[in-house]
Amino acid sequence: QAIDDDCNQTGQILAAILDWPQGTFASRVTLEQGGVVVEREVDGGLETLRLRLPAVLTADLRLNEPRYATLPNIMKAKKKPLEILSASELGGVPPSPPRLKVLKLEEPPARQGGQKVQDVVSLVEGLRQRGSL
Amino acid sequence: AMAWRGASRAVARRLLRLPRRGIASCIDPSVGLTEEQKEFQKVALDFAAKEMAPHMAEWDEKEIFPVETMRKAAQLGFGGIYVKPDVGGSGLTRLDTSIIFEALSTGCTSTTAYMSIHNMCVWMIDTFGSEDLRQKFCPSLCSMEKFASYCLTEPGSGSDAASLLTSAQRKGDTYVLNGSKAFISGGGDTDVYVVMCRTGGPGPKGISCLVLEKGTPGLSFGKKEKKVGWNSQPTRAVIFEDCVVPVGNRLGDEGQGFNIAMKGLNGGRINIASCSLGAAHASVLLAREHLTVRKQFGEPLANNQYLQFRLAEMATRLVAARLMVRNAAQALQEGREDAAALCSMAKLFATDECFTICNQALQMHGGYGYLKDYAVQQFVRDVRVHQILEGTNEVMRMMVARNLLQG
Repeated sequence: QAIDDDCNQTGQILAAILDWPQGTFASRVTLEQGGVVVEREVDGGLETLRLRLPAVLTADLRLNEPRYATLPNIMKAKKKPLEILSASELGGVPPSPPRLKVLKLEEPPARQGGQKVQDVVSLVEGLRQRGSL
Repeated sequence: AMAWRGASRAVARRLLRLPRRGIASCIDPSVGLTEEQKEFQKVALDFAAKEMAPHMAEWDEKEIFPVETMRKAAQLGFGGIYVKPDVGGSGLTRLDTSIIFEALSTGCTSTTAYMSIHNMCVWMIDTFGSEDLRQKFCPSLCSMEKFASYCLTEPGSGSDAASLLTSAQRKGDTYVLNGSKAFISGGGDTDVYVVMCRTGGPGPKGISCLVLEKGTPGLSFGKKEKKVGWNSQPTRAVIFEDCVVPVGNRLGDEGQGFNIAMKGLNGGRINIASCSLGAAHASVLLAREHLTVRKQFGEPLANNQYLQFRLAEMATRLVAARLMVRNAAQALQEGREDAAALCSMAKLFATDECFTICNQALQMHGGYGYLKDYAVQQFVRDVRVHQILEGTNEVMRMMVARNLLQG
Protein backbone atom coordinates (compact mmCIF):
# COMPACT_ATOMS: atom_id res chain seq x y z
CA GLN A 1 0.00 0.00 0.00
CA ALA A 2 2.14 2.79 -1.37
CA ILE A 3 2.14 5.96 0.63
CA ASP A 4 1.58 8.17 -2.41
CA ASP A 5 -1.53 6.74 -3.98
CA ASP A 6 -2.57 4.15 -1.36
CA CYS A 7 -3.52 1.81 -4.22
CA ASN A 8 -2.58 -1.46 -2.51
CA GLN A 9 -1.99 -3.28 -5.80
CA THR A 10 1.70 -3.82 -6.52
CA GLY A 11 2.03 -7.19 -4.79
CA GLN A 12 -1.27 -8.38 -6.17
CA ILE A 13 -0.47 -7.34 -9.75
CA LEU A 14 2.94 -8.99 -9.47
CA ALA A 15 1.36 -12.26 -8.34
CA ALA A 16 -1.08 -12.13 -11.25
CA ILE A 17 1.67 -11.48 -13.81
CA LEU A 18 3.78 -14.30 -12.42
CA ASP A 19 0.77 -16.51 -11.82
CA TRP A 20 2.03 -17.21 -8.31
CA PRO A 21 -0.11 -17.49 -5.16
CA GLN A 22 -0.30 -14.37 -3.02
CA GLY A 23 -0.48 -13.74 0.72
CA THR A 24 -0.99 -10.04 1.32
CA PHE A 25 -1.12 -8.08 4.62
CA ALA A 26 0.94 -10.86 6.21
CA SER A 27 1.21 -10.48 9.97
CA ARG A 28 2.77 -13.88 10.54
CA VAL A 29 4.73 -16.09 8.15
CA THR A 30 5.77 -19.67 8.89
CA LEU A 31 7.80 -21.72 6.44
CA GLU A 32 6.77 -25.34 5.96
CA GLN A 33 7.89 -28.16 3.76
CA GLY A 34 7.51 -26.78 0.22
CA GLY A 35 5.07 -24.11 1.30
CA VAL A 36 4.33 -21.23 3.60
CA VAL A 37 1.54 -20.55 6.10
CA VAL A 38 0.52 -16.91 6.05
CA GLU A 39 -1.70 -15.24 8.62
CA ARG A 40 -3.30 -12.18 7.01
CA GLU A 41 -4.84 -9.11 8.57
CA VAL A 42 -8.23 -8.68 6.88
CA ASP A 43 -11.12 -6.37 7.70
CA GLY A 44 -13.01 -9.11 9.46
CA GLY A 45 -10.07 -10.34 11.50
CA LEU A 46 -7.36 -12.81 10.60
CA GLU A 47 -7.27 -15.21 7.67
CA THR A 48 -4.79 -18.06 7.52
CA LEU A 49 -3.68 -19.42 4.16
CA ARG A 50 -1.32 -22.15 3.11
CA LEU A 51 0.51 -21.28 -0.11
CA ARG A 52 2.76 -23.30 -2.38
CA LEU A 53 6.13 -21.74 -3.08
CA PRO A 54 7.11 -19.63 -4.90
CA ALA A 55 4.59 -17.06 -3.71
CA VAL A 56 4.26 -13.31 -3.38
CA LEU A 57 3.86 -11.94 0.15
CA THR A 58 3.29 -8.37 1.26
CA ALA A 59 4.03 -7.33 4.82
CA ASP A 60 1.64 -5.77 7.32
CA LEU A 61 3.18 -3.59 10.02
CA ARG A 62 2.50 -6.32 12.55
CA LEU A 63 4.79 -8.78 10.79
CA ASN A 64 7.96 -7.70 12.54
CA GLU A 65 9.20 -5.45 15.31
CA PRO A 66 11.40 -2.81 13.65
CA ARG A 67 14.87 -2.40 15.10
CA TYR A 68 15.82 0.90 16.65
CA ALA A 69 18.26 2.94 14.60
CA THR A 70 21.50 3.41 16.50
CA LEU A 71 23.01 6.87 16.94
CA PRO A 72 26.10 6.04 14.86
CA ASN A 73 23.89 4.69 12.06
CA ILE A 74 21.75 7.82 12.07
CA MET A 75 24.90 9.86 11.60
CA LYS A 76 26.14 7.57 8.83
CA ALA A 77 22.78 7.75 7.07
CA LYS A 78 23.31 11.45 6.52
CA LYS A 79 26.44 10.69 4.48
CA LYS A 80 25.03 7.86 2.35
CA PRO A 81 24.73 8.77 -1.35
CA LEU A 82 21.21 9.12 -2.72
CA GLU A 83 21.22 7.65 -6.24
CA ILE A 84 18.34 8.60 -8.53
CA LEU A 85 17.64 6.13 -11.34
CA SER A 86 15.25 6.43 -14.27
CA ALA A 87 12.92 3.64 -15.32
CA SER A 88 14.92 3.00 -18.49
CA GLU A 89 18.15 2.56 -16.45
CA LEU A 90 16.33 -0.24 -14.64
CA GLY A 91 15.38 -1.84 -17.94
CA GLY A 92 11.74 -0.77 -17.86
CA VAL A 93 9.82 1.28 -20.36
CA PRO A 94 6.99 3.34 -18.86
CA PRO A 95 3.90 3.37 -21.11
CA SER A 96 3.41 6.52 -23.19
CA PRO A 97 0.91 8.07 -22.83
CA PRO A 98 0.67 7.00 -19.13
CA ARG A 99 -2.08 4.44 -18.49
CA LEU A 100 -3.27 6.32 -15.43
CA LYS A 101 -4.76 9.81 -15.73
CA VAL A 102 -5.80 11.80 -12.64
CA LEU A 103 -9.23 13.26 -13.35
CA LYS A 104 -9.92 14.93 -10.03
CA LEU A 105 -8.48 15.19 -6.53
CA GLU A 106 -10.70 16.44 -3.71
CA GLU A 107 -11.08 16.20 0.04
CA PRO A 108 -14.00 14.21 1.40
CA PRO A 109 -16.99 16.41 2.29
CA ALA A 110 -16.83 18.02 5.73
CA ARG A 111 -18.57 15.93 8.35
CA GLN A 112 -22.15 17.09 8.90
CA GLY A 113 -23.72 17.12 12.32
CA GLY A 114 -26.05 14.21 13.05
CA GLN A 115 -29.57 14.19 14.36
CA LYS A 116 -30.86 12.68 17.59
CA VAL A 117 -34.03 10.59 17.43
CA GLN A 118 -36.27 9.38 20.23
CA ASP A 119 -36.73 5.73 19.30
CA VAL A 120 -35.84 2.92 16.95
CA VAL A 121 -38.90 3.51 14.74
CA SER A 122 -37.81 7.12 14.09
CA LEU A 123 -34.27 5.89 13.44
CA VAL A 124 -35.39 3.45 10.77
CA GLU A 125 -37.68 6.09 9.24
CA GLY A 126 -34.84 8.62 9.16
CA LEU A 127 -32.46 6.15 7.48
CA ARG A 128 -35.12 5.31 4.93
CA GLN A 129 -35.66 8.98 4.15
CA ARG A 130 -31.96 9.48 3.49
CA GLY A 131 -31.96 6.53 1.16
CA SER A 132 -29.64 4.52 3.40
CA LEU A 133 -32.19 1.69 3.70
CA ALA B 1 3.16 4.49 22.41
CA MET B 2 3.91 5.31 26.03
CA ALA B 3 2.36 2.69 28.25
CA TRP B 4 2.57 4.58 31.53
CA ARG B 5 0.57 3.04 34.30
CA GLY B 6 -2.95 4.48 34.29
CA ALA B 7 -2.83 5.39 30.59
CA SER B 8 -4.31 2.78 28.26
CA ARG B 9 -2.40 1.95 25.11
CA ALA B 10 -4.88 3.78 22.87
CA VAL B 11 -4.80 6.87 25.04
CA ALA B 12 -1.04 6.70 25.28
CA ARG B 13 -0.69 6.47 21.49
CA ARG B 14 -2.64 9.68 21.15
CA LEU B 15 -0.63 11.41 23.81
CA LEU B 16 2.84 11.18 22.37
CA ARG B 17 1.94 11.63 18.74
CA LEU B 18 1.38 15.33 19.08
CA PRO B 19 -0.92 16.46 16.26
CA ARG B 20 1.04 17.20 13.09
CA ARG B 21 -1.32 18.43 10.39
CA GLY B 22 -2.58 21.98 10.81
CA ILE B 23 -2.34 22.19 14.58
CA ALA B 24 1.02 23.40 15.89
CA SER B 25 1.64 22.26 19.42
CA CYS B 26 3.47 24.88 21.41
CA ILE B 27 5.27 22.33 23.60
CA ASP B 28 6.54 20.11 20.79
CA PRO B 29 10.14 19.30 21.83
CA SER B 30 11.28 18.74 18.24
CA VAL B 31 10.82 22.37 17.27
CA GLY B 32 14.02 24.07 16.15
CA LEU B 33 16.02 20.87 15.87
CA THR B 34 18.01 19.71 12.85
CA GLU B 35 16.79 16.68 10.88
CA GLU B 36 19.50 14.60 12.49
CA GLN B 37 18.57 15.73 16.00
CA LYS B 38 14.94 14.89 15.27
CA GLU B 39 16.08 11.38 14.35
CA PHE B 40 18.00 11.02 17.63
CA GLN B 41 14.98 12.28 19.50
CA LYS B 42 12.70 9.86 17.69
CA VAL B 43 14.86 6.85 18.58
CA ALA B 44 15.06 7.97 22.19
CA LEU B 45 11.30 8.58 22.41
CA ASP B 46 10.55 5.20 20.81
CA PHE B 47 12.92 3.49 23.19
CA ALA B 48 11.42 5.32 26.16
CA ALA B 49 7.89 4.39 25.09
CA LYS B 50 8.54 0.73 24.42
CA GLU B 51 11.36 -0.28 26.72
CA MET B 52 11.03 2.02 29.72
CA ALA B 53 7.53 3.42 30.27
CA PRO B 54 5.84 0.02 30.66
CA HIS B 55 8.29 -0.83 33.46
CA MET B 56 8.89 2.45 35.22
CA ALA B 57 6.34 1.76 37.96
CA GLU B 58 7.67 -1.73 38.64
CA TRP B 59 11.26 -0.56 38.72
CA ASP B 60 10.26 2.08 41.28
CA GLU B 61 8.14 -0.26 43.39
CA LYS B 62 10.59 -3.16 43.45
CA GLU B 63 13.73 -0.99 43.40
CA ILE B 64 15.06 -2.76 40.32
CA PHE B 65 18.26 -1.46 38.70
CA PRO B 66 17.33 -2.20 35.06
CA VAL B 67 20.70 -3.39 33.84
CA GLU B 68 19.44 -5.20 30.72
CA THR B 69 17.32 -2.27 29.56
CA MET B 70 20.22 0.14 30.03
CA ARG B 71 22.47 -2.20 28.05
CA LYS B 72 19.90 -2.17 25.24
CA ALA B 73 20.06 1.61 25.36
CA ALA B 74 23.85 1.43 25.24
CA GLN B 75 23.62 -0.68 22.07
CA LEU B 76 21.92 2.27 20.45
CA GLY B 77 24.78 4.51 21.50
CA PHE B 78 23.33 5.95 24.71
CA GLY B 79 26.16 4.69 26.96
CA GLY B 80 28.71 7.34 26.00
CA ILE B 81 26.78 9.93 24.08
CA TYR B 82 29.38 12.70 24.18
CA VAL B 83 32.38 10.39 24.47
CA LYS B 84 34.82 10.13 21.54
CA PRO B 85 34.08 7.37 19.00
CA ASP B 86 37.58 5.90 19.14
CA VAL B 87 36.73 4.39 22.53
CA GLY B 88 33.17 3.42 21.71
CA GLY B 89 31.37 6.71 22.29
CA SER B 90 28.85 8.34 19.98
CA GLY B 91 30.74 11.62 19.62
CA LEU B 92 27.64 13.79 19.77
CA THR B 93 27.23 17.34 21.07
CA ARG B 94 25.94 18.50 24.47
CA LEU B 95 22.76 19.67 22.80
CA ASP B 96 22.22 16.26 21.16
CA THR B 97 22.78 14.75 24.60
CA SER B 98 20.23 17.04 26.24
CA ILE B 99 17.64 16.16 23.61
CA ILE B 100 18.26 12.47 24.10
CA PHE B 101 18.06 12.50 27.90
CA GLU B 102 14.94 14.67 27.77
CA ALA B 103 13.32 12.09 25.51
CA LEU B 104 14.44 9.05 27.51
CA SER B 105 13.24 10.68 30.70
CA THR B 106 9.64 10.53 29.49
CA GLY B 107 9.94 6.76 29.86
CA CYS B 108 11.63 6.65 33.26
CA THR B 109 13.20 9.70 34.82
CA SER B 110 15.12 7.85 37.52
CA THR B 111 16.80 5.40 35.14
CA THR B 112 17.63 8.14 32.66
CA ALA B 113 19.16 10.23 35.43
CA TYR B 114 21.43 7.34 36.37
CA MET B 115 22.38 6.91 32.71
CA SER B 116 23.34 10.57 32.62
CA ILE B 117 25.61 10.13 35.64
CA HIS B 118 27.19 7.11 33.96
CA ASN B 119 27.73 9.18 30.80
CA MET B 120 29.37 11.95 32.84
CA CYS B 121 31.85 9.49 34.38
CA VAL B 122 32.79 7.97 31.02
CA TRP B 123 33.34 11.46 29.61
CA MET B 124 35.66 12.32 32.50
CA ILE B 125 37.81 9.26 31.87
CA ASP B 126 37.70 9.89 28.12
CA THR B 127 38.74 13.52 28.48
CA PHE B 128 41.22 13.46 31.35
CA GLY B 129 42.47 9.88 31.42
CA SER B 130 45.71 8.65 29.91
CA GLU B 131 45.48 6.76 26.64
CA ASP B 132 45.88 3.50 28.56
CA LEU B 133 43.10 4.43 30.96
CA ARG B 134 40.77 5.47 28.14
CA GLN B 135 41.32 2.21 26.32
CA LYS B 136 40.98 0.20 29.48
CA PHE B 137 37.73 1.65 30.77
CA CYS B 138 35.81 3.56 28.13
CA PRO B 139 34.81 0.79 25.67
CA SER B 140 33.20 -1.41 28.30
CA LEU B 141 31.53 1.62 29.89
CA CYS B 142 30.17 2.89 26.58
CA SER B 143 28.59 -0.51 25.95
CA MET B 144 27.43 -0.59 29.59
CA GLU B 145 29.04 -3.95 29.98
CA LYS B 146 30.25 -2.09 33.06
CA PHE B 147 28.57 0.71 34.98
CA ALA B 148 30.11 3.75 36.64
CA SER B 149 29.53 5.91 39.71
CA TYR B 150 30.64 9.47 40.48
CA CYS B 151 32.01 9.87 44.01
CA LEU B 152 32.36 13.42 45.31
CA THR B 153 29.96 13.94 48.22
CA GLU B 154 30.91 12.81 51.72
CA PRO B 155 29.00 12.71 54.99
CA GLY B 156 30.85 15.90 56.00
CA SER B 157 31.03 17.66 52.63
CA GLY B 158 28.06 18.20 50.31
CA SER B 159 27.72 21.76 49.07
CA ASP B 160 31.15 22.49 50.49
CA ALA B 161 32.59 19.84 48.19
CA ALA B 162 36.14 21.21 48.30
CA SER B 163 36.38 20.39 51.99
CA LEU B 164 36.28 16.66 51.28
CA LEU B 165 38.37 14.44 53.52
CA THR B 166 38.87 11.13 51.69
CA SER B 167 42.63 10.88 51.54
CA ALA B 168 44.89 9.31 48.93
CA GLN B 169 48.42 8.87 50.23
CA ARG B 170 51.13 8.39 47.67
CA LYS B 171 53.13 5.19 48.23
CA GLY B 172 55.58 4.41 45.44
CA ASP B 173 53.52 4.05 42.29
CA THR B 174 50.24 3.64 44.11
CA TYR B 175 47.81 5.70 46.15
CA VAL B 176 46.27 4.35 49.35
CA LEU B 177 42.72 5.57 49.83
CA ASN B 178 40.96 6.06 53.13
CA GLY B 179 37.60 7.66 53.78
CA SER B 180 34.01 7.41 52.69
CA LYS B 181 31.59 8.88 50.22
CA ALA B 182 27.87 9.34 50.74
CA PHE B 183 24.78 9.17 48.53
CA ILE B 184 26.57 7.51 45.64
CA SER B 185 24.19 6.68 42.79
CA GLY B 186 24.71 3.11 41.64
CA GLY B 187 27.07 2.52 44.57
CA GLY B 188 27.57 -1.18 45.26
CA ASP B 189 26.05 -2.29 41.96
CA THR B 190 28.38 -0.44 39.64
CA ASP B 191 31.84 -1.55 38.54
CA VAL B 192 33.87 1.62 38.09
CA TYR B 193 34.17 4.45 40.63
CA VAL B 194 35.44 7.92 39.74
CA VAL B 195 36.58 9.26 43.12
CA MET B 196 37.58 12.76 44.14
CA CYS B 197 40.12 12.51 46.99
CA ARG B 198 42.75 14.56 48.77
CA THR B 199 46.33 14.06 47.66
CA GLY B 200 47.60 17.44 48.76
CA GLY B 201 46.79 20.25 51.16
CA PRO B 202 43.34 21.60 52.10
CA GLY B 203 40.97 23.23 49.65
CA PRO B 204 40.27 22.52 46.00
CA LYS B 205 43.89 22.54 44.89
CA GLY B 206 44.70 19.52 47.05
CA ILE B 207 42.16 17.27 45.33
CA SER B 208 42.85 14.63 42.71
CA CYS B 209 40.63 12.27 40.77
CA LEU B 210 41.17 8.51 40.84
CA VAL B 211 39.41 5.62 39.09
CA LEU B 212 38.76 2.49 41.14
CA GLU B 213 37.20 -0.83 40.30
CA LYS B 214 34.77 -2.85 42.36
CA GLY B 215 36.58 -5.75 43.92
CA THR B 216 39.56 -3.65 44.97
CA PRO B 217 40.46 -4.89 48.46
CA GLY B 218 39.26 -2.41 51.07
CA LEU B 219 36.40 -1.09 48.92
CA SER B 220 33.06 -1.69 50.59
CA PHE B 221 29.58 -0.26 50.59
CA GLY B 222 27.02 0.94 53.09
CA LYS B 223 23.41 -0.14 53.23
CA LYS B 224 21.12 0.59 50.31
CA GLU B 225 19.33 3.86 51.11
CA LYS B 226 15.52 4.00 51.13
CA LYS B 227 14.52 6.97 49.01
CA VAL B 228 11.40 8.92 48.10
CA GLY B 229 12.23 8.51 44.42
CA TRP B 230 15.10 7.49 42.12
CA ASN B 231 14.30 3.96 43.19
CA SER B 232 15.43 2.32 39.98
CA GLN B 233 18.99 3.15 41.01
CA PRO B 234 20.58 1.99 44.27
CA THR B 235 22.20 4.65 46.47
CA ARG B 236 24.86 3.65 48.95
CA ALA B 237 27.81 5.00 50.91
CA VAL B 238 31.16 3.97 49.42
CA ILE B 239 33.87 3.15 51.96
CA PHE B 240 37.63 3.04 51.37
CA GLU B 241 39.86 1.24 53.86
CA ASP B 242 43.46 1.21 52.69
CA CYS B 243 42.40 0.76 49.07
CA VAL B 244 45.42 0.53 46.82
CA VAL B 245 45.05 2.26 43.46
CA PRO B 246 47.77 2.46 40.78
CA VAL B 247 49.02 5.96 40.03
CA GLY B 248 48.11 5.30 36.41
CA ASN B 249 44.45 5.38 37.44
CA ARG B 250 44.62 9.09 38.17
CA LEU B 251 42.71 11.37 35.81
CA GLY B 252 44.72 14.44 34.94
CA ASP B 253 47.39 15.78 37.28
CA GLU B 254 47.57 15.79 41.04
CA GLY B 255 45.60 18.79 42.24
CA GLN B 256 43.46 18.86 39.10
CA GLY B 257 40.72 16.69 40.60
CA PHE B 258 38.38 19.46 41.70
CA ASN B 259 38.63 21.12 38.35
CA ILE B 260 37.80 17.83 36.63
CA ALA B 261 34.88 17.26 38.98
CA MET B 262 33.46 20.70 38.22
CA LYS B 263 33.90 20.29 34.48
CA GLY B 264 32.07 16.98 34.70
CA LEU B 265 29.28 18.66 36.64
CA ASN B 266 28.71 21.37 34.04
CA GLY B 267 27.55 18.67 31.66
CA GLY B 268 25.94 16.74 34.48
CA ARG B 269 23.80 19.73 35.35
CA ILE B 270 22.53 20.07 31.80
CA ASN B 271 21.76 16.36 31.78
CA ILE B 272 19.86 16.41 35.07
CA ALA B 273 17.96 19.49 33.93
CA SER B 274 17.12 17.63 30.72
CA CYS B 275 15.76 14.73 32.75
CA SER B 276 13.52 17.20 34.57
CA LEU B 277 12.29 18.52 31.21
CA GLY B 278 11.27 15.06 30.08
CA ALA B 279 9.37 14.36 33.28
CA ALA B 280 7.60 17.71 33.07
CA HIS B 281 6.68 17.17 29.43
CA ALA B 282 5.24 13.75 30.22
CA SER B 283 3.34 15.21 33.16
CA VAL B 284 1.83 18.00 31.05
CA LEU B 285 0.61 15.41 28.53
CA LEU B 286 -0.90 13.30 31.29
CA ALA B 287 -2.58 16.34 32.82
CA ARG B 288 -3.93 17.47 29.46
CA GLU B 289 -5.42 14.04 28.85
CA HIS B 290 -6.96 13.93 32.29
CA LEU B 291 -8.56 17.34 31.82
CA THR B 292 -10.29 16.18 28.65
CA VAL B 293 -11.52 12.94 30.19
CA ARG B 294 -12.54 13.83 33.74
CA LYS B 295 -15.91 15.50 34.17
CA GLN B 296 -17.18 17.46 37.13
CA PHE B 297 -20.09 19.88 37.42
CA GLY B 298 -21.44 18.44 34.17
CA GLU B 299 -18.43 19.32 32.04
CA PRO B 300 -14.93 18.11 31.21
CA LEU B 301 -12.34 19.75 33.46
CA ALA B 302 -10.81 21.19 30.29
CA ASN B 303 -13.72 23.67 30.06
CA ASN B 304 -12.70 25.21 33.36
CA GLN B 305 -10.83 28.45 32.78
CA TYR B 306 -8.71 28.17 35.90
CA LEU B 307 -7.41 24.82 34.74
CA GLN B 308 -6.92 26.08 31.20
CA PHE B 309 -4.86 28.97 32.51
CA ARG B 310 -2.94 26.68 34.81
CA LEU B 311 -2.13 24.32 31.94
CA ALA B 312 -1.03 27.28 29.84
CA GLU B 313 1.32 28.44 32.60
CA MET B 314 2.78 24.97 32.91
CA ALA B 315 3.37 24.82 29.17
CA THR B 316 4.93 28.28 29.12
CA ARG B 317 7.35 27.45 31.90
CA LEU B 318 8.22 24.13 30.29
CA VAL B 319 9.21 25.80 27.05
CA ALA B 320 11.14 28.51 28.91
CA ALA B 321 13.05 25.88 30.87
CA ARG B 322 13.75 23.87 27.74
CA LEU B 323 15.19 26.90 25.97
CA MET B 324 17.44 27.67 28.94
CA VAL B 325 18.76 24.13 29.02
CA ARG B 326 19.39 23.95 25.28
CA ASN B 327 21.03 27.37 25.31
CA ALA B 328 23.37 26.28 28.10
CA ALA B 329 24.16 23.06 26.22
CA GLN B 330 25.12 25.08 23.18
CA ALA B 331 27.35 27.38 25.26
CA LEU B 332 29.10 24.42 26.87
CA GLN B 333 29.66 22.81 23.50
CA GLU B 334 31.25 25.97 22.21
CA GLY B 335 33.41 26.29 25.31
CA ARG B 336 32.12 29.78 26.01
CA GLU B 337 33.31 31.64 29.09
CA ASP B 338 29.80 31.97 30.47
CA ALA B 339 29.04 28.26 30.02
CA ALA B 340 29.43 27.23 33.67
CA ALA B 341 27.17 30.04 34.85
CA LEU B 342 24.61 29.25 32.15
CA CYS B 343 24.65 25.58 33.12
CA SER B 344 24.00 26.59 36.72
CA MET B 345 21.15 28.90 35.69
CA ALA B 346 19.63 26.24 33.49
CA LYS B 347 19.87 23.59 36.20
CA LEU B 348 18.38 25.96 38.79
CA PHE B 349 15.55 27.14 36.59
CA ALA B 350 14.62 23.89 34.90
CA THR B 351 14.69 21.67 37.98
CA ASP B 352 12.62 24.14 40.01
CA GLU B 353 10.10 24.83 37.27
CA CYS B 354 9.77 21.22 36.21
CA PHE B 355 9.13 20.03 39.75
CA THR B 356 6.38 22.63 40.00
CA ILE B 357 4.95 21.51 36.66
CA CYS B 358 4.93 17.84 37.68
CA ASN B 359 3.39 18.75 41.01
CA GLN B 360 0.69 20.87 39.38
CA ALA B 361 -0.04 18.04 36.98
CA LEU B 362 -0.52 15.78 39.97
CA GLN B 363 -2.91 18.31 41.52
CA MET B 364 -4.96 18.37 38.33
CA HIS B 365 -5.47 14.64 38.65
CA GLY B 366 -7.21 15.16 41.99
CA GLY B 367 -7.22 12.14 44.24
CA TYR B 368 -6.12 9.88 41.41
CA GLY B 369 -2.88 11.81 41.21
CA TYR B 370 -1.95 10.53 44.63
CA LEU B 371 -2.31 6.86 43.66
CA LYS B 372 0.65 4.85 42.51
CA ASP B 373 -1.56 3.45 39.78
CA TYR B 374 -0.99 6.74 37.99
CA ALA B 375 2.42 7.69 36.64
CA VAL B 376 2.33 11.39 37.50
CA GLN B 377 3.25 10.87 41.17
CA GLN B 378 6.41 9.03 40.17
CA PHE B 379 7.51 11.90 37.96
CA VAL B 380 6.99 14.23 40.92
CA ARG B 381 8.97 12.02 43.29
CA ASP B 382 11.75 11.38 40.78
CA VAL B 383 12.37 15.01 39.84
CA ARG B 384 12.25 16.32 43.40
CA VAL B 385 15.86 15.31 44.01
CA HIS B 386 17.06 17.11 40.88
CA GLN B 387 16.73 20.34 42.87
CA ILE B 388 19.23 18.93 45.37
CA LEU B 389 21.95 16.89 43.71
CA GLU B 390 24.71 17.81 41.26
CA GLY B 391 24.92 21.02 43.24
CA THR B 392 21.91 22.20 45.20
CA ASN B 393 19.87 24.95 43.64
CA GLU B 394 21.28 27.15 46.38
CA VAL B 395 24.80 26.42 45.17
CA MET B 396 23.62 27.20 41.64
CA ARG B 397 22.71 30.67 42.89
CA MET B 398 26.20 30.98 44.39
CA MET B 399 27.73 30.23 41.02
CA VAL B 400 25.57 32.70 39.15
CA ALA B 401 26.20 35.42 41.77
CA ARG B 402 29.91 34.80 41.52
CA ASN B 403 29.75 35.28 37.76
CA LEU B 404 27.77 38.50 38.15
CA LEU B 405 29.94 40.01 40.87
CA GLN B 406 33.39 38.85 39.78
CA GLY B 407 36.08 41.29 38.65
